[in-house]
Amino acid sequence: MPESHTECAPAEETSTQLALDRPWRVVVLNDPVNLMSYVVLVFQKVFGFDEPTARRHMLEVHERGRSVVWIGVREKAEAYVFTLQQWHLTAVLEEDEAH
Amino acid sequence: MKRIEIKLNLEAVAPLLDRIKESVGALEGKLAAPVRPPDSDAEMEAAWAGELLRDQKGDCQRFLAMFDQRFFADGTISLDEENAGPVLRACAAIRLNLRESAFGMVPDEALEGGKVSLEQMDQATQNAFEAYVFLATLQELIIENLDGEILS
Repeated sequence: MPESHTECAPAEETSTQLALDRPWRVVVLNDPVNLMSYVVLVFQKVFGFDEPTARRHMLEVHERGRSVVWIGVREKAEAYVFTLQQWHLTAVLEEDEAH
Repeated sequence: MKRIEIKLNLEAVAPLLDRIKESVGALEGKLAAPVRPPDSDAEMEAAWAGELLRDQKGDCQRFLAMFDQRFFADGTISLDEENAGPVLRACAAIRLNLRESAFGMVPDEALEGGKVSLEQMDQATQNAFEAYVFLATLQELIIENLDGEILS
């Protein structure tokens, strides 16, 4: 049994590493409460967007119900989701299936 | 440090504070917005929510601290880069709680489009809605006057 365990371990590590390496999407969902100007400000502050980019994402959230605001490594995506939730925006993390 | 002072109508705003404090009390133990941690792991979800709740409580305390002796003397509140961010977030949290607790029956489209009829609300709901509008006005004032400082 110890031998089997030893053989399996590298495979699990590889699988975990691949999952971490895959890109993840930070998605902001619409809510009827937060002001448009507030959402624009939060996008500027959290992601460093310029005003037109922040406004474009805000309008996408407002009109389509969601906007992908960032794509990248999982750890950083998680941090962004947490920060957006600190600002009371509804944000979720999704695996980027396009990659 | 950029600083703005806002003179509020004491008679209009003071009665709203009771309803706002009620929401702040409700937010002591729950998050204003639904939490969606990346994993469904219960331990991580609890840790994630716990940290968000601590931050939310801190922001609400900073918000209530604006309404000090000076406010009750002449209606003035002060905002600067130190408290503007926490106050903005607290306003968002309280508005979300007001919406959920006091006028959840109002359709999203009506709320977003500003098509809400006060006449159809009872007094308690009207009071909550006035607090909701006041907090939005405060957010707009902060964003218009302090956004450059907040972003720096």
